[in-house]
Amino acid sequence: MTTATTARPAAPPAPGRPQRHRSRRYGRAITFFVAPFGVLFLAFYLVPIGYAVWQSMLTVERDGTFGAARTVFGGFTQYQQVFQHTEFWESIGRVLLFGVVQVPVMLGLALVFALLLDSPLVKGKKFFRLAYFVPYAVPGVIAAIMWGFLYSPQLSPFTALTANVPVLGADLVLWAIANVVTWVYVGYNMLIIYSALLAIPSEVYEAAVLDGASQTRIARSIKIPMVMPAISLTAIFSIIGTLQLLAEPQVFRSFSSAVTSTFTPNMTVFTTSAVPNTSLAAAFSVVLALATFVLSFGFLKFSQRREAR
Amino acid sequence: MQHRTRRGATALLSTTVLVALAACSSGGSGSGSGDGGADAAACEPSEGSVELSFTSWIPGIETAVDAWNAENPDIQVTVQTGPNGNGGTYQNFFNQLKAGNAPDLGQIEYDALPNFRVQDGLADLSACADVVAAQDQFVDWTWGQVTLGDESSVWALPQDSGPMAMFYRADLFEANGIPIPTTWDEYAAAAEQVRAAGGYITNFSTADVNQLAGFVWQADGQWFSNDADGWDVTLTSDESEKVADYWQGLLDDDLVSTVPAWTTEWDNAYNTGQAWTWVSAVWGANSIASGAPDTAGKWAVAPMPQWEAGDTAAGNWGGSSTAVFKGSDHLYEATKFALWLNTSEEALTILNEEANIYPATKDGLSLPVLQEGVEFYGGQAIYDVFAEASGQVSPDFVWGPTMTQVYNDVSDGLKLAATGQGTVPDALAAAQTKTVDALKAQSIPVQE
Repeated sequence: MTTATTARPAAPPAPGRPQRHRSRRYGRAITFFVAPFGVLFLAFYLVPIGYAVWQSMLTVERDGTFGAARTVFGGFTQYQQVFQHTEFWESIGRVLLFGVVQVPVMLGLALVFALLLDSPLVKGKKFFRLAYFVPYAVPGVIAAIMWGFLYSPQLSPFTALTANVPVLGADLVLWAIANVVTWVYVGYNMLIIYSALLAIPSEVYEAAVLDGASQTRIARSIKIPMVMPAISLTAIFSIIGTLQLLAEPQVFRSFSSAVTSTFTPNMTVFTTSAVPNTSLAAAFSVVLALATFVLSFGFLKFSQRREAR
Repeated sequence: MQHRTRRGATALLSTTVLVALAACSSGGSGSGSGDGGADAAACEPSEGSVELSFTSWIPGIETAVDAWNAENPDIQVTVQTGPNGNGGTYQNFFNQLKAGNAPDLGQIEYDALPNFRVQDGLADLSACADVVAAQDQFVDWTWGQVTLGDESSVWALPQDSGPMAMFYRADLFEANGIPIPTTWDEYAAAAEQVRAAGGYITNFSTADVNQLAGFVWQADGQWFSNDADGWDVTLTSDESEKVADYWQGLLDDDLVSTVPAWTTEWDNAYNTGQAWTWVSAVWGANSIASGAPDTAGKWAVAPMPQWEAGDTAAGNWGGSSTAVFKGSDHLYEATKFALWLNTSEEALTILNEEANIYPATKDGLSLPVLQEGVEFYGGQAIYDVFAEASGQVSPDFVWGPTMTQVYNDVSDGLKLAATGQGTVPDALAAAQTKTVDALKAQSIPVQE
């Protein structure tokens, strides 16, 4: 968002002033406004990325049992390791499965809640808006700990259920985590969709009502199509979030015997860097980032093409 | 509107990806830090007053440091505390070493010392005459843990140790007429009786791979060995397999519970009498007392069960040392402080009072506080049992150079065993392969 906003002053020059003079003055203004962002962007995004890519190209050499390590340029040897690392690809598969199920469920719920809030028939909107959003105000780690206790076979308030259904067992723990993530983020996504709904001009509704459309019909034929861009946006955030799942499963490691140290790609990175094998961890990160990039942009292109059609 | 949203999304998207990347890449450095030589320096006093930094995770360590600072105005120590080693502090140390801003001194458990040595992070303390002279003060096997098998160098000073024994619910064993097991066979037999009485003899922890290592240590097994040519990984050695098969047997027969360790649920299992014994280290005395307060007075301590009747072997679980990091400019002062911290009666008494640290020195084992009966254990002088166990720990157990990785991999396998998707021997076999791979990835010479 920031780039889009800061870049805007550069857009079309107001009419009636000498062109060249203006662009020079604008040039300075642009530098002035962009600099704070630019410096931080460079120092905290671009440089670390470059550094990670560089790290991923290194390997370690040493002589003897306790020989001191020498870091040498190794080209793509770390990437070779990445592609042979079964746990890493298993973890990617796991989060993809997670995403395919959890993202539609979460966004579906968020859309339903947003439509309900936007419906003229619902009372107590302020209360519900806050109620849906509150879980997002709970830090992710705290939410995971809280749910961990709720799931616990012995200590849960619902032991009748949790003692008999192995919620934290190998088969269900992924969906137990999906439930936590959904609980936290539904309200957040709902708010994005809801604000897009508020931006729909009321003439459109008036026209629809004059044509005799019911509220369900309005929701289906006007609201949903008009908030599609917002839904795409939340979908992209969710895809990124899914691939980068870390906090919730990391917390669940201590609650569940089924969450291994390589359960998600980011956990694999984390575990590898603790070895410490920073080069391989960097290579994992680069591959993960590229995968995220491809998936999110793939989705973006796909949804754009569908909209255009 | 639509278009702007999309452009905003793209921008946000790319920044998010970047943040993620940046987050992943923090820590680590471009060039190797192995410049060696230069700081293999002499152990000479520095001029003027010296400030030392020290990182540790012992609760109450500040009290000991304050006492030192009050007595040594010229050597002032600043202490920083953090999470326990594998919980994050080692990661910080590795990052600091790469960045060249490691503290002067740090707490490192015995099992992590080879890892720091392989990463070239430790100063050799054998340059300091005081350190070499202190050898006789320490329990023999703890000295072996800090020399890493080479008597001519010293990589840290032993701080505490974790000789193992068996904590058991004396009241429940007596009420049910079950004899206290002295061998592992008797332990398995007792497990069945305990199960019949509605409990579990113990909880099998999937997180505590170093407890399993302690069992292998007791059985006189090895997970690693090294010589001048490189490392040998023996997670699947005969002794190791024997231990693994034993616990798999208990798991198969549902004689042990598999509650995740160190959770409220685990405390609950001990507090409510579901778990009857815990073969654990001396520091475990505190864990039970704080986790299972309702069972006060009902516990007792006996020596670890033996593989052969009449044997007297004990394992060790845990124990830390104080190391001086390579790059410290004050080796002399740092070792002076470390020696005081780990050998003086004053410091050891403070550490025992604050954090139940069980000293690694011979004299420390006879600290007055360690002679008293402990109320939680029905007034038994439990530390007598541990002092005896301390003398029965084999001095030869060797830790590998990537224990954090080994623990993660074995633990992943134990989790599969606990959930019925694998076995304990499988866990060791898988970890064996992964460990060899991890060593190779670091170019650490390893036999296959």
